[in-house]
Amino acid sequence: MAQSRPLGKRIVLIVEDEPLLRMMAVDLVEDAGFVAVEASNADEAVRILEMRSDIRIVFTDIDMPGSIDGMMLAAAVRDRWPPIEIIITSGHRRMTDLDLPARSVFFAKPYDTAKVTATLHQMASH
Amino acid sequence: MQKSARYTGRHGSALTPFKIEIALFPLLEEPEAVHQKRLEALEAYDILDTPQEPEFDDIVLVATALCKTPVALVSLVELGRQWFKARIGFEACETPIGQSVCAHALGRQDTLIIPDLTTDPRTRDNTLVTENPHIRFYAGAPLITPGGVVIGTLCVIDTEIRPAGLDDAQRKALEALARQVILLLEARRMSRRKDELFRRQKNIASTIRTSAIKTVAAQEAGRIGTYEIDIATGNVKVSAEACRIFGLPHADSYPAATIEAMIVAEDQGRQSNSESRRTGDAETDVEYRIGTPDRGIRWISRHATFERDADGKPLRMLGTVQDITAQKRSIARSAALLDLGDRLRDLEDIEAMALVASDLMAKALDASRAGFGIVDLPSESVMIQPEWCAPGVDSLVGLHHFRSYGSFIDDLKEGATVVVTDVLTDARTAKNAKALTDLGVRVLVNLPIFDHGKFSLVVFVHHSTPYAWSDEELSFVRSVGNRIQSALTRLQAETDQDLLNQEIGHRLKNTFAMVQAIASQTLRPVAERDHVLNFEKRLQALSRAHDTLLAQNWMGADVSALVTGSIETLGLADRFDISGPVFSFGPRSSLSLSLLVHELTTNALKYGALSNPTGRVAIDWSIEGQGDNATFRFRWSEQGGPPAQQPQTKGFGSRLINMGLSGTGDVVASYQHSGYRVEMTAIVFQLQHAK
Repeated sequence: MAQSRPLGKRIVLIVEDEPLLRMMAVDLVEDAGFVAVEASNADEAVRILEMRSDIRIVFTDIDMPGSIDGMMLAAAVRDRWPPIEIIITSGHRRMTDLDLPARSVFFAKPYDTAKVTATLHQMASH
Repeated sequence: MQKSARYTGRHGSALTPFKIEIALFPLLEEPEAVHQKRLEALEAYDILDTPQEPEFDDIVLVATALCKTPVALVSLVELGRQWFKARIGFEACETPIGQSVCAHALGRQDTLIIPDLTTDPRTRDNTLVTENPHIRFYAGAPLITPGGVVIGTLCVIDTEIRPAGLDDAQRKALEALARQVILLLEARRMSRRKDELFRRQKNIASTIRTSAIKTVAAQEAGRIGTYEIDIATGNVKVSAEACRIFGLPHADSYPAATIEAMIVAEDQGRQSNSESRRTGDAETDVEYRIGTPDRGIRWISRHATFERDADGKPLRMLGTVQDITAQKRSIARSAALLDLGDRLRDLEDIEAMALVASDLMAKALDASRAGFGIVDLPSESVMIQPEWCAPGVDSLVGLHHFRSYGSFIDDLKEGATVVVTDVLTDARTAKNAKALTDLGVRVLVNLPIFDHGKFSLVVFVHHSTPYAWSDEELSFVRSVGNRIQSALTRLQAETDQDLLNQEIGHRLKNTFAMVQAIASQTLRPVAERDHVLNFEKRLQALSRAHDTLLAQNWMGADVSALVTGSIETLGLADRFDISGPVFSFGPRSSLSLSLLVHELTTNALKYGALSNPTGRVAIDWSIEGQGDNATFRFRWSEQGGPPAQQPQTKGFGSRLINMGLSGTGDVVASYQHSGYRVEMTAIVFQLQHAK
């Protein structure tokens, strides 16, 4: 189910508690030609997702303070907003230890910005 | 000085430094017998120079409040001094007898009241009156023992003259408090005597017990029985001692079959039988275990000789039997402890440890059943795991509730080893004895094992028949418990170290991510994005190498894992041919190798074999030589790409490559028409031990 959205306004929700890393992610997303929306934890991300329907991709860290972590956020997104694409990143976890939701991509931190950029483009082209 | 004046014995009163001083005071006017009695009374209370006690402190506090004085003392008058068991408003804990006002109260049964000390002939020259603290008023109620001896006073003191002294109520109250002091002293003496008696009784009991055990052991060790088997009839003549050794009622003879049947299943066949006796082939010296009705399993050493007829045909087998259980078990215990040490060292989980311990205890203690269970503390239950059982003994595998078998779980929770020598008589199990005997448990040993401070496993040993425990055996059981506990502590320390390593690893990864973020922010204005990208990639290579090391607990990493880790993120793994023996690098060399492979791969992608769709890279390594001179050789050869050309400038990448594996060079690079090749060597010892 494709969401109707204005052309040229592709929005990525960045969820990251560490400000420096969030800043870098914002740069990366904007350099890739997207609009970045920021949340500093998963609870805030859910509130944003509940309020607006134009988010195309969620780009989230895993270990964050709050009532739910990035993995639970990803599961909630897959469940409640199925069209949204998901990118998960973590410095602590390895991909082999994780139970990733469908249509999600994992990057270990520090991530390869070129690869993340390519993944964003690929997801947006669906 | 005062201390040296202390009364030191019943008859040592004459020679003290205070003799002359004493002579100046009325105190000495009391008859020798009276002050002797006082000293004896004080000695009996054993109170002098003891620490402050709140009960006495309370009394002086009440006295000051009652009599409205700043000072109150419980003063005990010794030979050369007065010593205060409790005091309020007075600094010194004792004074020489010359300064004592109380001494004047000793001869009387009523309260001594001196309204103005400066005018009373007994006290006007007292230095406490003429000098600091200038005391003026004194009232002292005598402390009279039940035997009628005055040992001192409860006194109140003021620095103001009190012409009116104490009123009647105050005086009576002071006297009542003085009686309380005596009651406290009496109570104190009684409880000390009880403690002492109790201690003595315990000592006596333990002495008796030790000597009884020793005697029994000595008797058993020395016991030698004799026997004589008539081979034709199979009848055994036995000495009284032999009967005792076999635990049989006293009789002159038994059928051989009766005795043969006592031998435990595992040892059947060691003893002689009618056939081997008839042929004379029976072993002359054997050891076997028998099951006795009262003393459990016993070890028997049996020696035999044959009496033969003129033709050499055996007529009688005769010889000695000896109970060697003590020696046998002592050897088994030593062996078990040695074995336990060896086996615990290699074990990595608590359950395997418990299993080994129960196995060894079963052997060393001739148990009928031994094993361990996993404890669930909230429900006070234990899930018994498959255990060792003697032949014919039923397994207890499954869930059991501690309380069904008695109250000994209370001791286990405290960490105490529980040894119930007879479930019928031990207070902890007597009420539930039937539940235990129904399971064939007459003797019970439970060893609690604590994991991270929580009672989580219990090792058990059961005997189906009463078992005579020696002190050595009890200490053996405890020793096994201690060994398991210390092995477990070691294991926990290792686990904690692992966790710490993981944590450090995670922090390091986060730091790498932060470095990347800072660099990407800082380098945003840099126009040559390639440099920024190269930095990022190198950082990732380093981070991956740390990953590999982390997986190995920083002990170093396998070359093959490092090489594949470096190349597979590029998605070109199918264009590499990798071969080489299993070989482990130290942590530092692991990082170098990862960065090297990253640079070589990047170069191959840009200029070499990986820059077209078909070129390949071969990586292989080998170890040459042995011992200290062993060399590690690493080869990288590209083919199928464009002809290799020596680069014009030397960037970070090529400088890194030229430093080689251990940072000291030993790098041979060749730019051939077929492609780039490089060979690096390093001393194995350096690669493995550089930290």
